[in-house]
Amino acid sequence: MRYLIRFITKNAAGDTDHTDKIISAPAISIGRATDQMLHLRDRRARLQHACIEPQNGDIHITTSAMAGVTVNGRSQRNIALKPGDVIEVGANIIRVIEAPAGIDFALSFELQEDVAAEHLEQSWTTPTSGVAGWSKRRIAWSLAILVFIFAFALPSISLLHPGAASFMRGSDLLPDDSWWLAGPVHSAHAATAASCENCHSNAFQRVQDETCMACHSVSKHVAGAAQAVIGETRCASCHLEHNEPPELVKQHQGLCADCHQDLPSDVDLQPAGDFLDEHPDFRVSLLRPTPSPGGGIDWDVAHISLAGAATDDRSNLKFDHKIHLNSDGIITPDGKRVVECSECHTPEPGGALMQPISMDEHCSGCHTLSFDPDDPTRVVPHGDPEGVLQALIEYYSARLLGADPDTIEQRIRRPGASLSRADRDKAAAEARTKALQVAEDLFERRACVNCHEVSKRDDASALPWSVLAVRLTERFFAHARFSHAAHDTEVSSCNSCHAADASESAQDLLIPGIDSCRDCHGSAFARRNDASQTPSTCIMCHNFHFEAKGNYQ
Amino acid sequence: MNEFILAFRKRRYLWIALGGTALAILAYWFDDPQEPANGGTALGYALGMIGALLILWLTWFGIRKRRYASTVGTLQGWLSAHVYLGVALIVIVMLHTGFQFGWNVHTLAFVLMTLVILSGFFGVYVYMKYPERISENRGGAPRAELIDELEDIDRRSTRVAEGLGADFLELVASGVQRTQLGATLWERLKAHDSSQILVRQDGQTKIVGNAGQETALDWLAEQQSISRDAETAAAIGELSALIRNKRRLLRRLGEDLKLQATLEIWLYAHVPLTAGLLVALFVHILTVFLYW
Repeated sequence: MRYLIRFITKNAAGDTDHTDKIISAPAISIGRATDQMLHLRDRRARLQHACIEPQNGDIHITTSAMAGVTVNGRSQRNIALKPGDVIEVGANIIRVIEAPAGIDFALSFELQEDVAAEHLEQSWTTPTSGVAGWSKRRIAWSLAILVFIFAFALPSISLLHPGAASFMRGSDLLPDDSWWLAGPVHSAHAATAASCENCHSNAFQRVQDETCMACHSVSKHVAGAAQAVIGETRCASCHLEHNEPPELVKQHQGLCADCHQDLPSDVDLQPAGDFLDEHPDFRVSLLRPTPSPGGGIDWDVAHISLAGAATDDRSNLKFDHKIHLNSDGIITPDGKRVVECSECHTPEPGGALMQPISMDEHCSGCHTLSFDPDDPTRVVPHGDPEGVLQALIEYYSARLLGADPDTIEQRIRRPGASLSRADRDKAAAEARTKALQVAEDLFERRACVNCHEVSKRDDASALPWSVLAVRLTERFFAHARFSHAAHDTEVSSCNSCHAADASESAQDLLIPGIDSCRDCHGSAFARRNDASQTPSTCIMCHNFHFEAKGNYQ
Repeated sequence: MNEFILAFRKRRYLWIALGGTALAILAYWFDDPQEPANGGTALGYALGMIGALLILWLTWFGIRKRRYASTVGTLQGWLSAHVYLGVALIVIVMLHTGFQFGWNVHTLAFVLMTLVILSGFFGVYVYMKYPERISENRGGAPRAELIDELEDIDRRSTRVAEGLGADFLELVASGVQRTQLGATLWERLKAHDSSQILVRQDGQTKIVGNAGQETALDWLAEQQSISRDAETAAAIGELSALIRNKRRLLRRLGEDLKLQATLEIWLYAHVPLTAGLLVALFVHILTVFLYW
């Protein structure tokens, strides 16, 4: 395309003159940028404002400017041009004129020399906003609205309707009310926390105890005076969510010590504060056997301070840890070997306490209750003295009267004849005598007496021996939590707390006192005072909620 | 701004800001809230309230600076306090958070606040350094004087070109018309010269780049080398000298535009981010109590 641009100039006298410029190009660019073919020095023009180019056989003017370009007084985005049309861009006026021969399209343009310098000056001195096309105010409003929409308006949709909430929360792209989370939720509450309103049931109201109680049933601390102090405390004032690190149970010393450090005189409890120097000596729950009026034994539980006297373990068992733990080994059915603590003391599935000790499981492997060297697999029952005698009588009666070729019957009976009544009585008496002999050996010398207190009566009762009942304490610290698993570390062994390898009597209480704990466990403020100790608050070992029976319904 | 602002009244607001910050740190250190430090403890609420009021007060500076009739303190005092208390705000709000951050609207408010304050640091820096650089670059003269000088050179070179013929006149006139500095924000910040010029090559007039007036000077040098009479060569030499002067002047103007733009650009972050922060702060406070 060949274009002609006629530049019209006015001299000082007001006479007009013109210069023609012929341009061969596909299109004519119009704008404020200096590389435009028709260069407009006017700040109202954009850098690339408009373009004149052929379209479907006509010559069109097109623009991408928001305001368009004014053609014959009307704003246009794309319009065909014909001679006589007047195009306005800012203060500039471009006219379409009849194209002379050999030219496809012609324009005339009046140079605005007098405003040029002024505009030059303007383009240099105007604030940056004019150039960027964005005012501070416009950016500010945009950002403010953007923040409002994404941080508040869209997440708020979750508040309107459960359906809207699940839609918003289900979408990966849309912001839901999880954007308002002030911190992580404890993993124990992960399922519940999928919907905020499960706990935050009323807007602008704190989480209510009833909401917690919908799943949790838990007793309050204690009745009476303490209840009056803590009665109004909300669950959530101790069980705080949305914190980092997630700490669902308040560990703070003050939770207990604020009251227990300085108890009223009428409270039957020892004052307790910091573990390092304000904790009373441990009181251990020990079984105390007393003869019951109807025969047998009543087991009472006594809470006895470890610092005081009479802390002997009265289980009625005879047991020597030292012998069993002999480092040279002891004789077992597998030969001589060293026995480990863990062969008898096995932890509960949770790892906290130890499983109860039983004769069948832990002792009988070595301490068999066999009685006849000729028949070593034959044993008497454990825990049933009458049964022992009964089993022995039955055993020896069978020996004397049974099918064995050595039995009396075989020796004295003629073939085909049965034993006479007198012979039978004689054999039964012989069996009973034999059984009593063996029983005496078992009760008084070989078996029972090894572990049990056995006494013999001189009366003519059927069973002259009685064995004192045994009961082992399963939980020495009833009001404290302790986990063996948590203490199974490289630096500790069974012996570092339980002095079993030196104990020769079952009366030795092998439960460590508070000093043993204090080797590692220090003050609640140990982090600040002594880095070698583990900071220990009350909640580390004690429960706040009294007699909690499991906290899940 | 100059050092006077930071040293206002023997650094009165520096000491106030330092004292307040130290108090907040001490309170945080000795506070034992029985739970991980967070915005919801007693101290957390207190620090949050102070932080929110500080933000509102700091924002008020944008209004106070336009109230020329106001006698509530001097504007220098306000700016001095604005700078120092703005820095203290970061510490106070950091303690308010208990150093718990996450991908949520609360941390969004914190991030926006931090960006506002960081852009403010940049502002303090340029307000300290740039006014001096600007007047050094201009040689103490106002910018209008440089532009007057430029127009004078343009007028004189047009007159010389008129005597040298149409090709010279077209070159000089188009060079004058198409001189451009800082057409866009980016070009302004980079002191980029986007000038163009019309050059006759192979019987065609072409629009080519003329950054630093290089094209014009090259073309003139070429014409001078092929000119046959001494008078023409001398005139071309005179024209070249004028254009070289123009080049020097344009460099200064470009630098001036750059310095001026840098002096102003940080406010395009500082002010809009403040608007974003105010909304985020509102959302933060509202949502914390909405799901209390």
